[in-house]
Amino acid sequence: MIELSHVSKQFGDDTAVEDITLRVAKGKFCALVGTSGCGKSTTLRMINRLIEHSSGDIILDGQAIEQYDPVKLRRRIGYVIQSTGLFPHWNVARNIGLVPRLLKWPATEITARVEELMGVLGLPVGEFAHKYPHQLSGGQAQRVGVARALAADPDILLMDEPFGALDPITREKLQDELAKLQARLHKTIVFVTHDMDEALKLADHLVVMRDGRIVQQGTPLALLQRPADPFVESLLGGLERGLKQAALTRVKDHMTSLGPTLPAQSRIPADFSLRQALSMMLRDHCDRLTVVDQGDVPIGELSLRRIVKEAQLDKVSQRDA
Amino acid sequence: MTRNSATVSLPNAPSIQWFLPLIWIALLAMCIVGMPLLEGLFRWVEPDARQVVYDRAAFYELLGRHVLVVSVAAVVTIAVGVAAGIAVTRERGRDFLPLVGQLASLGQTFPPVAVLALAVPVLGFGTLPIIVALMLYGLLPIVRNTLAGINDVDATIKEAAQAMGMTSWQVLRHVELPLAAPVILAGVRTSVTINIATAALGATVGASNLGDPIIAGIVNGNMAYVLQGALLIALLALSADSAFNVYQQRLRQRLSAS
Repeated sequence: MIELSHVSKQFGDDTAVEDITLRVAKGKFCALVGTSGCGKSTTLRMINRLIEHSSGDIILDGQAIEQYDPVKLRRRIGYVIQSTGLFPHWNVARNIGLVPRLLKWPATEITARVEELMGVLGLPVGEFAHKYPHQLSGGQAQRVGVARALAADPDILLMDEPFGALDPITREKLQDELAKLQARLHKTIVFVTHDMDEALKLADHLVVMRDGRIVQQGTPLALLQRPADPFVESLLGGLERGLKQAALTRVKDHMTSLGPTLPAQSRIPADFSLRQALSMMLRDHCDRLTVVDQGDVPIGELSLRRIVKEAQLDKVSQRDA
Repeated sequence: MTRNSATVSLPNAPSIQWFLPLIWIALLAMCIVGMPLLEGLFRWVEPDARQVVYDRAAFYELLGRHVLVVSVAAVVTIAVGVAAGIAVTRERGRDFLPLVGQLASLGQTFPPVAVLALAVPVLGFGTLPIIVALMLYGLLPIVRNTLAGINDVDATIKEAAQAMGMTSWQVLRHVELPLAAPVILAGVRTSVTINIATAALGATVGASNLGDPIIAGIVNGNMAYVLQGALLIALLALSADSAFNVYQQRLRQRLSAS
C-alpha cells in the first residue's frame, strides 16, 4: 500500500507539487492524469526517492520512505519509463535480469526468471534473448522494459507514460496486455499518463492533477459521472464523456431477459462494453441487440431505449444523492 | 555520442581490420632492422657527410626507450585524467568541473619545451623531465574526452539504472564507463599519438630515444640523421594510431546502439 499525505515538493522557489494526499491500496491500479508539467511525474518519482519530497509523509507498507535505504527501496519497486532506459550495451536477457542480479540471485534462478518473463510478455526466448535494444521495435523494447521492472517480482510498479512513444495500435495492444497482466498479478501500480482514454481503460483509481495539485480523484466512473470542474470535464473529453462512460459499462449490466418478441438480428457478447453495443446499433441500423454468452447462446436482450433511460436514472439518483 | 571525425570506418572482418596496423608495424620493423641497407638513399641526401646512417646507438634500443617513455607517461596520464574526469562528473565533484577543464587546457597550451626547461633544474637531466612534459601535454585530450563521454551518456539510462536500485558505483562501473569507453579511448588515442612525436624532445635533455638522430642531425647539419629519426617516429605514431583505431571500432560495434 502507498500513502501520500500532504506531500509537497519545491525546487528552489518553484513549487512542483503541492499538498498531495493520495492512497493506493494494495493490488490497485492508480493513474495520475494531467497535462505536461502538472507534477504527475514528480509525484511518481518521489515514491522511489529519485526525487526527495520537501514536506508531508510518504508511507510504504506502513513505514515512512525516509526510513528505507534508497537502493534497497528501489530494488523492490518496479520502474518503467517512456524511453525504456534499457542499457544499450546489454542484451535483452541481461537487461531483464538486472535487478535479480543486483539482489544476488543464483544464476540458474535468474535465467529461469528471465525466460519466464519473456514468455509472459510475448518475447520468444530463442529470438530475443540475445538481441540488443537497438535491434528491437518500440513495442518490443517497452515489453523488455516491463519485464525488467517485473523481474524481481516487486509488489509495487511505477510507470511513467510507458506507452506514450508507441504507435496507437501497439499502444492499445500493450494496454490490453498490461490489463490482463494486472488481473493476474495484482501489483500495486501507479501509472502516469496524459492520455485520459488510457487512464480510463486501465485504472481503478483516477487522479487528475493540475499545476501541482490534485483537482479530483475517484473511480473512473465517478469522475465521468461528476467531473469536479470544467478542466476535468475537458480532460474527460467534453461531449464524448457519455461514450467514455459507456465504454466502462458492460453490456450484461444493462441487458433484460429475452422477451416474447422476435430476437434481434445482431448479436453482441455479454462482456462487451456499452460503447461497442451503441456502435453496433448505429452500424446495423437497429435499436435492439441480442446478448450472447461465450458459446454464442442468446442470454438476454439490450435495447437502446433502456440504455438511455437508465442513463437518465443514473443522473437523477446522483442529483438526489 | 561524440564521434572522432578522423575515424575511418573499416569493414567488420577482423582480418581486414588488423591489416592496416600490421602494415605499419611491419614497415617500422623493416626500417629498424634494415636502415643500413638504405645507405645509398641517405648518401644521396647528404653526399658529403662522413656517416649517413646514425650508429651511435642501435635503432631498436632507441625505439625501446621511446616506447617506454611514452607508455609510462600514457599510463600515468590515463590514470590521472580518467580519475579526474570521473571525479568531477560525480555530484560531489561538480563544482571542480570548470577548474579541472582549465587546468588540463593549461597543460596543453604550455609548450613542452618550456616544461622541459623548467623541469630539468628540479628533476635533473634524463628521462624524468620528458615524462613530466608528456604527462602535462597529453592530459587534456584524455580529461576532455572522459568528461564528454560520461556527460553524453543518456540521462534517462542513468536514471533508469538508479531507479532499478544500482548504487552510484554500480552505475559508474556498469553503465557510464562502458558507454563512455569509445570516447575515452579516442582521447587516449589522440594523447598517445601526439606524445609519440613530442617525446623526441627528450633527446635535448639527455633522455635517449628516437629523437637522438634528429637532434644529432640538427647539431651536425646532417639531414640524413634527421630523416631517419623522423621516419621511425612517424611509423611508430602511425602504428599506434591505427592499432587504437581497430580497438575503437570494436568497442563501437559492441555499442552500436548508443
